[in-house]
Amino acid sequence: MTHFRWKQIGFACAFVGALWACGGSGGSDSPAPTTPTTPTDQAGSDRKAMLTNMADNIILPSYANFKTKFDLMLAKSNAFTAKPDKATLTDFRQAWVDTYVDWQKIELFDVGPAEQYTLRNFMNIYPANTAGIEEYIASGTGTFEVPASYPKQGFPALDYLINGLGTTDDAILARYTTAADAAKRIAYLNRLTTQMNSVFNTVYSAWNTGYRDTFINCTALNAGCSTSKLVNGYVLNYERFIRSGKFGIPSGAMTNGAISAETVEAFYKKNISLTLAKTAHQASVDFFNGKSVKTGEQGPGFRTYLNSLGAKDSSTGTLLTDIINKQFDAVSQQLNTLKPNLYEEVKTNNTAMVQTFTQMQKIIRMLKVDMTTAMSITITYTDNDGD
Amino acid sequence: MLAYFRKTTSAAPLAVFRLLFGLMLFGSIVRFWSKGWIAELYIQPRYFFPFYGFEFVRPLGQYTYLLFAICALSALFVAIGLFYRVAVTSLFLSFTYIELIDKSTYLNHYYFTSMVCLLLIFLPAHAYFSVDAYRQRRLLAGTIPAWCIDSLKLFVALLYVFAGLAKLNSDWLLSALPLRIWLPAHNDLPVVGFLFNYGWTPYVFSWFGCLYDLSIPFLLWYRPTRLWAYAAVVVFHGLTALLFPIGMFPYIMIVTALIFFSANFHLTIVRKISQLLSIPTTFLLAHRTYRFLPVMAKLTVAVLTLFFAVQFMFPLRYLLYPGELFWTEQGYRFSWRVMLMEKAGYAQFTVKDRSGHQTIVNNASFLTPLQEKMMATQPDMLLQYAHILQQHYARRGFQNPEVYVDSYVALNGRLGKPLIDQNTNLANEQESFKNKAWITQFNDKIYGF
Repeated sequence: MTHFRWKQIGFACAFVGALWACGGSGGSDSPAPTTPTTPTDQAGSDRKAMLTNMADNIILPSYANFKTKFDLMLAKSNAFTAKPDKATLTDFRQAWVDTYVDWQKIELFDVGPAEQYTLRNFMNIYPANTAGIEEYIASGTGTFEVPASYPKQGFPALDYLINGLGTTDDAILARYTTAADAAKRIAYLNRLTTQMNSVFNTVYSAWNTGYRDTFINCTALNAGCSTSKLVNGYVLNYERFIRSGKFGIPSGAMTNGAISAETVEAFYKKNISLTLAKTAHQASVDFFNGKSVKTGEQGPGFRTYLNSLGAKDSSTGTLLTDIINKQFDAVSQQLNTLKPNLYEEVKTNNTAMVQTFTQMQKIIRMLKVDMTTAMSITITYTDNDGD
Repeated sequence: MLAYFRKTTSAAPLAVFRLLFGLMLFGSIVRFWSKGWIAELYIQPRYFFPFYGFEFVRPLGQYTYLLFAICALSALFVAIGLFYRVAVTSLFLSFTYIELIDKSTYLNHYYFTSMVCLLLIFLPAHAYFSVDAYRQRRLLAGTIPAWCIDSLKLFVALLYVFAGLAKLNSDWLLSALPLRIWLPAHNDLPVVGFLFNYGWTPYVFSWFGCLYDLSIPFLLWYRPTRLWAYAAVVVFHGLTALLFPIGMFPYIMIVTALIFFSANFHLTIVRKISQLLSIPTTFLLAHRTYRFLPVMAKLTVAVLTLFFAVQFMFPLRYLLYPGELFWTEQGYRFSWRVMLMEKAGYAQFTVKDRSGHQTIVNNASFLTPLQEKMMATQPDMLLQYAHILQQHYARRGFQNPEVYVDSYVALNGRLGKPLIDQNTNLANEQESFKNKAWITQFNDKIYGF
């Protein structure tokens, strides 16, 4: 009798053990069959289809587009440092604007190599630390790898170096030609672009040499897998780097009205700050809707995934994705009321800046609470800026 | 009634339970330690959320490791039955102390473990097959009062029944929430994953889970169904272990349910272990019945009666509060409400004073991600945090700081809405067992328990 029981218990244990083993193998290391790049006929809840669309139609082409602009900017920068004059400066500036705008379309992919190598830290931490930059120039050396060095590099540092050194082009050019430290300044500019190029290429080549497959095959929803990391990076980007960075901090909305207009993005160029903000916002909207960068058509993304989960306002039956898109529209309209120079807007029309922050705040709640709870994803990121 | 208290039964089930439970706890603590959670949860955080009435329980800094070491050692001593009474008391105290440090880490199965340890203090689990009995043969007893084992069974039954009753609500049964949210997250599992894309799957899980909880203690108790019931225990808890990140709980329940098995079953286990360890069989033959001293017997029965009276009533205390339990969470903890809610929230605090200071708080500079997540949806923790902020900013030069919170909470897939009245200065509110009037109305209805 007792032996019979032991057998049965053993059988039950084996059954659960089998279930357990099945669960253990689900995850990043399952073999990767070739997947169609435009999976249109798959169920919306298929995370692999969603991740594939995101990787192949949004993230990789966005990186490739950025790289084209970025390489051009590097060429223009080299032309400028080889022969600083009005023509090369103008070219460099234009290429910098184009690249900076495209940066806004990839900053939100804070997942995989970009997260691992903290790409943003080397590209777009502002306001630029101009005193620190001048120290680095004077000493001719200095690390780019520590947090204190982040505001001394990337697009904001370039902004200072090509737009902020003087009130006229001649005055700026003089700093690269006739000034005592001209050679050192040129050397710094070269160091800067080399550093940006090195970090970006590390991320870019990682995506193109294997990470793409890792990304689409890590379909589990736990904190270590793609969907969770993607959502966390996406919400973090909107909250901290669009809402707070571009509006909350300059307008003083987050600090009891203590206005700091000089903390706007592209402070020295000034008239592109709204464009940068709009581009970043639109990139987030398009990514939410799974819009292909190649074709402009919507595919599997957060929108289709949430719809397939049936996420809706239970009292009215409105789809959560419609509610979120409506709020995205409200932000877009608010952005359209602003003038191109956000520095000036903070100085003269700050109410509108604060209103933008408030509209964005509503999006944050929906993304951070309603969207993540419907997806059963935990927000794991922490803010690390001081209070 | 009196006849029942004179009834005796084999001591083997309790001894095996002691052994497995002790080993399980020892393993849990080793696991906890090896994952680095002692530092992460009890040393690194800057602030903690003690339980109301237990504010004297403070983290011990580096000595927290010592506390865990004592706890692990006690568990091991309980398992082998060495210095049993001292060991189990020390296990209860150290384990409970750890669990009382921070609400953020509250789990029902930690509470269950604490309560079982408390019960074990009063039960003669060392009378049979223990080192104590080996060293002091006059302690050795083959039979013990039947109520000693029945009290453990009753406690396990209470847990399951209350857990089942808690599932008798409209969200769980009629909307299959929160499983409808959680299960699709596993639709990429091999073999069974596709099932989680069907709308009816969460209903099957919900109803099965509810019926399981309500019936399993009785099916385990009743001999003809016992074996199948145990198979169900293994499958059910195995599945939950597979699908949800609930740590050791499934294994603890799988082991605990063995208490329902017959004396012969447990004697077989004891014999097998003895063979393995070459323990003389004479040690296994104990005909004496364990006798409490008359005064101890009375005291123990009184303590257990009180224990069960509290255990019967405590999960029902929520009835004394107005409002929706899932929303206010007044009377939610310590009530065997397991996996009933998908609740997520966001809380942005503003601290200001009359002289014009005002700041928006960055929660991350005060709390860990886990603490922030827990705080954002639980009113009593929101209040505790508000007081932490009040004291912090008072030291920073704010005069009588006022603390307001802009909260946003989503429950079981409903759209988020404020949980706390935005105009309440939380610095002025005090924790108590009274109703917290500053929690907003839920404005929806969840029917049932």
